[in-house]
Amino acid sequence: MDNLKNSNDMRSIKKYVMFTLIVGLGSILPTLQAQSDLQISKAFDQYGERKGVVMVELTDEMLNGYDFSLFKSLTIKDNPSAAEFIRKCLLRDEVGAKKVKQVVTNGVPTSIYLQLPRKGKLYRLILFNEIFTPEHKLTLIYIESKNDTEDVLKLILKKK
Amino acid sequence: MIINMKYKLNFPDADRLIEKYYDGLTTSAEEKQLKDFLLQRDLPEQYRPEQAIFGYFTHKNEKPSFRIPDSIRWVGVAAAIGLILLGPQLFVSGNQSDYAYIDGIKVSDIGEVKSRAMASLGDISHSRDEVQESFKSINDNDLIEQQLDMFSAVEK
Repeated sequence: MDNLKNSNDMRSIKKYVMFTLIVGLGSILPTLQAQSDLQISKAFDQYGERKGVVMVELTDEMLNGYDFSLFKSLTIKDNPSAAEFIRKCLLRDEVGAKKVKQVVTNGVPTSIYLQLPRKGKLYRLILFNEIFTPEHKLTLIYIESKNDTEDVLKLILKKK
Repeated sequence: MIINMKYKLNFPDADRLIEKYYDGLTTSAEEKQLKDFLLQRDLPEQYRPEQAIFGYFTHKNEKPSFRIPDSIRWVGVAAAIGLILLGPQLFVSGNQSDYAYIDGIKVSDIGEVKSRAMASLGDISHSRDEVQESFKSINDNDLIEQQLDMFSAVEK
């Protein structure tokens, strides 16, 4: 009976520890992995820390009126193969997303705006743009916001 | 006599008390006496069953049981709730996750990071102008007329 009591105690400790771990991880993981389900996360991983690249990550920041839960951007200069890679990633991420805008130049999409399905309370948006003059430059932006993506997009496009 | 010196009770007396115990006739003093006798080490094999019975009770009284105090439980629950509410902020947000990599060099200065973020947003909003410009050129009457002239020249 004594052993039984001790084993019950151990069980309650295990339950208690498991509960704390599950609750803890459950609260952290969704925030950590909101973007990792997307192919473009590979572009951030692959090119983010290279020369000729600017990668930005901001969390819960107000950016001149923009209220973003997560903001990630990648600006790459003179790297057509990176543009090709990102376009392939976007093709995959387009599945289930709403294409707000696409500009095709010489048969190649150079501007793509994607409204992704919501993840929890967060609206998600991918913006991609490629220019060739005065220099080859591509910009990839991933945004998570509590505000509707259409409002976010309007705000971005309104500002210069 | 040797037995009496070594053990707290001699065997015949112990046997008598055990018999009395099973008959339910022992007093509490006798039970205590019997218990003290049975808890001794190196008793003959024949006392094992009784040792088990009394050993169990002693074991129960002496072995400390481990139990999480209620106060610690509540502190744990409060910590878990705190983790739910503050976890994402503690582990993900805050200045730790505000950074930029410029040519492979990490920059944590928030002013610089924000300025880079705004620059990339500027690239996107600038693209809107390009699109509008391209629409303008498509709608440009002069351009259309020029193109039609080209076709009419071919016909002539």
